Amino acid sequence: MTTLLKDFLPGYLAEADEHLSLAKENLLSLEERLRAGETHPRAVRDLFRSLHTLKGLSAMIGVEPVVEIAHQMEGVFRALEREGGRLSLGAIETLIAGLAAIEERVGALSAGRPVAKAPDQLLRRLSGLTAESSGDVSAEILRGLEPELLTQLSAADVEQLRLAIGKTGRAVRLDFAPSAERSAAGTNITSVRRRAAEVGEIVKVIPTSAEPTSAHPSGLVFVLLLATAASDAELLQALMLPRESLRDITMVDAKPGIFSDEPEPSIEEGDRLMGGFVRVSVAKLDETMERLSALIVDRFKMARAVTDLATRGADVRALSAVLSENSRHLRDLRGSIMKTRLVAVEELLRPLPLLVRGAAKATGKKVNLETKVAGVELDKAVAERLFPTLVHLVRNAVDHAIEHPAARIEAGKPPHGSIEIVARSLANNQLELTVRDDGHGIDRRKVAAKARREIPSSDADLLDLISLPGLSTRDTATSTSGRGMGMDIVRRIVSGELRGHLSLKTEEKRGTTFTLCVPLSLKIVDAFSLSCAGQLFVVPVSSVDDILEIDVKDVLAAPAPGRTHALRVLRRAGSQIPLVSLSHALEMPPISVLRPKAIVVSRAGQKVAFEVDQLYGQHEVVVRPLEDPLVSVFGVAGSTDLGDGRPVLVLDLMALGARAIAEAA
Amino acid sequence: MSALFVMFKVGNADYVIPASSVLELESFTGATEVPGAPSFLRGVLNIRGRVVPAIDLRTRFGLARTEPTIDTRVVVGQIGTRVVGLVVDAAREVVSLSSEAFRPPPEIIVEQTQGFVQAIAEAGQRLVMLLDFPKVIGEESTHAQ
Repeated sequence: MTTLLKDFLPGYLAEADEHLSLAKENLLSLEERLRAGETHPRAVRDLFRSLHTLKGLSAMIGVEPVVEIAHQMEGVFRALEREGGRLSLGAIETLIAGLAAIEERVGALSAGRPVAKAPDQLLRRLSGLTAESSGDVSAEILRGLEPELLTQLSAADVEQLRLAIGKTGRAVRLDFAPSAERSAAGTNITSVRRRAAEVGEIVKVIPTSAEPTSAHPSGLVFVLLLATAASDAELLQALMLPRESLRDITMVDAKPGIFSDEPEPSIEEGDRLMGGFVRVSVAKLDETMERLSALIVDRFKMARAVTDLATRGADVRALSAVLSENSRHLRDLRGSIMKTRLVAVEELLRPLPLLVRGAAKATGKKVNLETKVAGVELDKAVAERLFPTLVHLVRNAVDHAIEHPAARIEAGKPPHGSIEIVARSLANNQLELTVRDDGHGIDRRKVAAKARREIPSSDADLLDLISLPGLSTRDTATSTSGRGMGMDIVRRIVSGELRGHLSLKTEEKRGTTFTLCVPLSLKIVDAFSLSCAGQLFVVPVSSVDDILEIDVKDVLAAPAPGRTHALRVLRRAGSQIPLVSLSHALEMPPISVLRPKAIVVSRAGQKVAFEVDQLYGQHEVVVRPLEDPLVSVFGVAGSTDLGDGRPVLVLDLMALGARAIAEAA
Repeated sequence: MSALFVMFKVGNADYVIPASSVLELESFTGATEVPGAPSFLRGVLNIRGRVVPAIDLRTRFGLARTEPTIDTRVVVGQIGTRVVGLVVDAAREVVSLSSEAFRPPPEIIVEQTQGFVQAIAEAGQRLVMLLDFPKVIGEESTHAQ
């Protein structure tokens, strides 16, 4: 976490400063209103938001004392916002002390000093305020508001309405239905708001949906609650709205009970009521997965035993039926367990805006981060390993890819650079993540010169080059660069540890896109078993495009003078794909078989066929990484057990294919 | 001070490593070859659910690799988080040796064994060599004792 903390600290400090000064401003204007005997719901709302954000940010980088203080203060404003009521001037003093305590701690963090613990006395005083503010609000009704609208009004809103009416004399409701016609005439919700603010005080804008009719063709109606001193005629003229869109809603005393006294259930309460969520440690989930893995290996053992029985002439039909049922149940169980381990990609990316902010501030650049990841999930373990690579790619994009505003304008681009992260689930339980920037692209010549290599001709070669360990094309050190990992580590995590795939597309002056393709889950995968050079191997099904029997007529072995091994070409469905002997790729002595098979894999659109001796079948296998340096070799992704207790190697055919083609070129 | 050592045979010579760094002794019936691994690597083994690399000590010492026999053993050792097996021709005894029994090896043995032998000692009638286990598996030598 310490290196990540360094990455996020600049962004944290910038954001925290902003919210602190905003909160101070709002607290002072709230105090001013209180002295005048009024309330200030908007300031309360903004204060709540600021403290909520401060709390969340501080929790993310682990500044516990700030989390504690902000939490108590947030509670005060939440209660005020929900339940109405007033703060005493003494309470304001305590809240100011709270902000000062936060500020002091953020300052310490910024100066690299240790952060002092939250003062107990302050916390106690703040928590005392929470109770004090929960005032009782009398139930009232607004005439001309449907119950659905009423439920959208908080007690604080009603309090504000009442106060505003006290000042201006009355409250009105304005219904505005946006339409293409009105928009063409320059009237949209923004212009309506602006005009309304000129003639009164907007208490709330509530968007509502309605049946699309000629009156509201978009099916959307904005209800503006406005406290105003203006007459109907003046309002209609100022707002340029038809007569029927205006209604007086000045408050009258009414039956109690419309405003429920019951506070809306908090998220935690809601979950408990619905029997919803349980927090589980990842270690426990890992343990479950481990147990399932053992069951899967047991199943292989049973299958073996049943086959043995069958070869000795026993009738195993009943056993086989049970086995296949067992296999289906295990598959379902695996599915359920995997689902419990999924986390939203959105959640994973949550800290990145902070990173972008910090890096942009440090470099004097302007950068927008956009994410399109809604609804995509991946395994917690994968997410944890993937996160540092995203941090690296995003920080790199800000530091090195995106130009300074002046340079961007000169290049005919908007001054704000943009970084876009898009996630989508692919078939085969794979996840594709793209990180795209609209910077100046990677300068091949410069990279080649730095690395003292030839200028790469393709994006794939360029990626190989920038993934060389220790290569850096940074001309000047920025405050955020000079630490952290290089592209070599990104690649190692994506291709090595996660058994995924990394690719690059860069266009000069237009920008760079990195595409990461990783499995949604790590441990248990579907795999084909095969034999090559007399040894059994498995390959993940997700990497396999096709399997076929090799017909000698379809194989073209071109002469390759001076080479010990020629790359052959396999004709398949009208196209030609390189055919690599797997035993050659693995440098194992080949054995000759009568009818060799081929496994076709595809990587970044390029297909490669591997010749193997025999294909056996598809299994669900438990992959264990080979961690010892003696056996972490190229092309081997891990090991598995097919039931006889012997390790079986899991091959990374994509990596082997890429190397074979590179060698033949 | 005396300590326990696991004694094993590679070729015609006897070697020892401290029993404290040995997890277990297993009989050896073959390993899964790992293409692309160093030539002295016999392959990977499943040792109680853990996949462990096994070094062929004959090959490591420049002797010819042999087929496993009924006596062939794997000495499974641990250093830090690494667990590595050593395939040896036989391993039968655990001996107790005092630290005074060890002497620095003659120069010729140091050279011949590429520094894999840390010391020699007399155990009963035999001369045994103390193997530098970390060095054999590619770690920096610890020069214990």
